[in-house]
Amino acid sequence: MVDHLNTIRDAVIGGKHAEIKGLVQQALDLGLDPGTIINDALIAAMDVVGKDFGSGKIFVPEMLVAAMTMKTGLEVVKPRLAGGENRSRGTVIMATVKGDLHDIGKNLVSMMLEGAGFQVIDLGVDLSADKLVDQVRALKPDILGLSALLTTTMPEMQKVIGELKAQGLRDRIKVLVGGAPVDQVFAAKIGADGYGANAAEAVELARRFAGANASKES
Amino acid sequence: MDLKPDFNRFLAAVRHQETDRVPLGEILIDYSIQGKFLGRPVAVDDLAAQVEFWSRAGYDFIPITVSMMSPGKVTEESKITRVLKEMVLREKPGTTDPKAWNLEMTSFIHERPDLDKFPWEAAADIDFSKLHAVKDLLPEGMKVIAISGKIFTLTWMLMGFNNFALKLVLDESFVAEVFERVATIQFKALETIFGMDHVAGVWVVDDIAFGTGPMISPAALKKHVFSWYQKVGDRCHENNRIFLMHSDGDLSVLMDDLIAMGLDVIQPIDPSCMDMAKVKKQWGDRICLIGNVSNELLRSASPSQIEARVKELLRDAAPGGGFALGSGNSVPNWAKYENYLAMREACLKHGSYPIAIK
Repeated sequence: MVDHLNTIRDAVIGGKHAEIKGLVQQALDLGLDPGTIINDALIAAMDVVGKDFGSGKIFVPEMLVAAMTMKTGLEVVKPRLAGGENRSRGTVIMATVKGDLHDIGKNLVSMMLEGAGFQVIDLGVDLSADKLVDQVRALKPDILGLSALLTTTMPEMQKVIGELKAQGLRDRIKVLVGGAPVDQVFAAKIGADGYGANAAEAVELARRFAGANASKES
Repeated sequence: MDLKPDFNRFLAAVRHQETDRVPLGEILIDYSIQGKFLGRPVAVDDLAAQVEFWSRAGYDFIPITVSMMSPGKVTEESKITRVLKEMVLREKPGTTDPKAWNLEMTSFIHERPDLDKFPWEAAADIDFSKLHAVKDLLPEGMKVIAISGKIFTLTWMLMGFNNFALKLVLDESFVAEVFERVATIQFKALETIFGMDHVAGVWVVDDIAFGTGPMISPAALKKHVFSWYQKVGDRCHENNRIFLMHSDGDLSVLMDDLIAMGLDVIQPIDPSCMDMAKVKKQWGDRICLIGNVSNELLRSASPSQIEARVKELLRDAAPGGGFALGSGNSVPNWAKYENYLAMREACLKHGSYPIAIK
C-alpha cells in the first residue's frame, strides 16, 4: 500500500502526467482509501514540489507540470470519495488588481493552491475594488489573494482592503497579497493578513489561515 | 561638465576603462519625461526631438527599437499587434475586442498546427525606417543602440506562459521550434542592422528572471535561449558591435553563463533583488553593469535621497570603469520628473573620474 502511495507521489513530483491516471486507478482498484491517496500521495507530493520550488531546486515549468499531474490524479479519485470527504481546505478568490494585466504570478499561485486542496475561483486581471468586494460578498471565500506587478497598481490592494472594511466584510476573510513590487512591509502597512514572496509561501500562508479557520469552527 | 555626446566614453566604460566621467545609460525614457526636459512635447514620431533629448541630457547614444516587439507594453502601434490583428480579423471577421490581438492578453501558438497558421512572414517584415531616419539627425559623437533580438519573451508570449511552461517539459521539441522561428526573424533583422554604421550595438531586452530567480531552469535557458544569444554575441563582435542585455529579476545564478556567451553589458541589475556592490565585486571585472537606481525610489523618494543613492552606486560600481548609471528598469511616466533630474544631475556632479566618493 505504502509502495503505491509512494509511486503516485513520485509520479506527481516528477511530472509524469501520462502515467498518473493509470497509477491512481491501479491504487483504487487495489482498494486503497481515496482520502489516503489524496492526502498521503497527491497533496503530499505537492508539499515536496512547493518546497523544491521555494528552494530553487525546480522552476515554474516543472512546478506547473506537477500541479497539472496532481489535478489529473485528483479527478480520478474524486468520484470515489464519500460526500464528506470531498471537502476542500477552503475557498480562495484570486485576482490581479485594477489597472494591472499581469497574471503569471497569480496563475502560479492559483495552480499551487488547487494542488494543495483549496477550491480556487480565479477572477482574472484588472479587477476593481468594487467588483472584488461584490464577489467576496456573493461567493463568501475564506481567503482573498491579490496580485500586482506594478508599483502604480499596488495602492489598489489598499483600496480593496478599505472597501472590505467599509462594507463590513473584512473580518470574515483573510487577505493575502503578492507580486514583484510587494513586500512584507507593504503588506503590513495596508493591513493585509499575509504576504507570499512566491507560490510556495502563498500556499503555506493559505494553509495556516485555513488551519486557523478550522480551529475557530471546531 | 561637457555634455557633448561621445560614444567612445560609453565604449570605454564597456571596456572597463575610466574616461572623463561615468556615462549615463537607459533603454527607455518616457516621452513625457523627455518633453519636460526639453520644455516642449515629444511625440512618438518626433525623432529629431528624441535625439535632441538624449544628446542634451548627457547620453552618448540613443536606444531605438527595431524588433518584432517593443520592449515592455505591447501597444496598438506595435508591429506584432498589427500583424496579429490582421490574422484574427481574417479568422473571425467582426471581432472588435482589442484583447483578441494583444499579445499580453491572448496567445496564438498552442499546438503544432498553430505554428503554420501564424503569419511568420508578416511578422518578419520589420520596420527599419526609424533606424534609417535617425542617421542624419545624430550629433557628432553620438551613436544608436538598436533594441532588438528579443527571443525568450516573444516565444512565451506567442504560446501563452502556462502553455509555454507546460510544453517545455511535455513537448520540448515543439517549444524549440517556436524559439527557432522567432530567433530566425530576429537574426534576419540583425543583419540589416549591422549594415548601418551609426548603430554601435544591439541591446536584447528580454526578461528571463523573476525576483526569486530564473523563470525557467538555467539548463533550459542555456539550451533554448542562451544558445541563440551566443550567436547574437558572435555576430555582434564579428561586426565590431557591442552586445547588451536587459533583464529584470535576480540573475545571480545565470551571470556566469551570460558572461560566457559573450555579453558585454547587463542592465539594469534589478534593485529589488540584486545588490550592485555584490554584483560588481563578483562579476564586475568581466561585464559592464548599467542601472540599479530603484524605480520605486524614482517614484516616491526625494531628490536628495536619489542623490545619496547615486553616490553610493558611483562609489561601489564606477571605479575602474565597467559601469554606467541609470534606472533600475527604465524611466516610466510615473517617475517623478525631479527625481529623474536628480539621478542624472547627481551622476554628472559626482561621476567625474577619478571617483572621489568615500
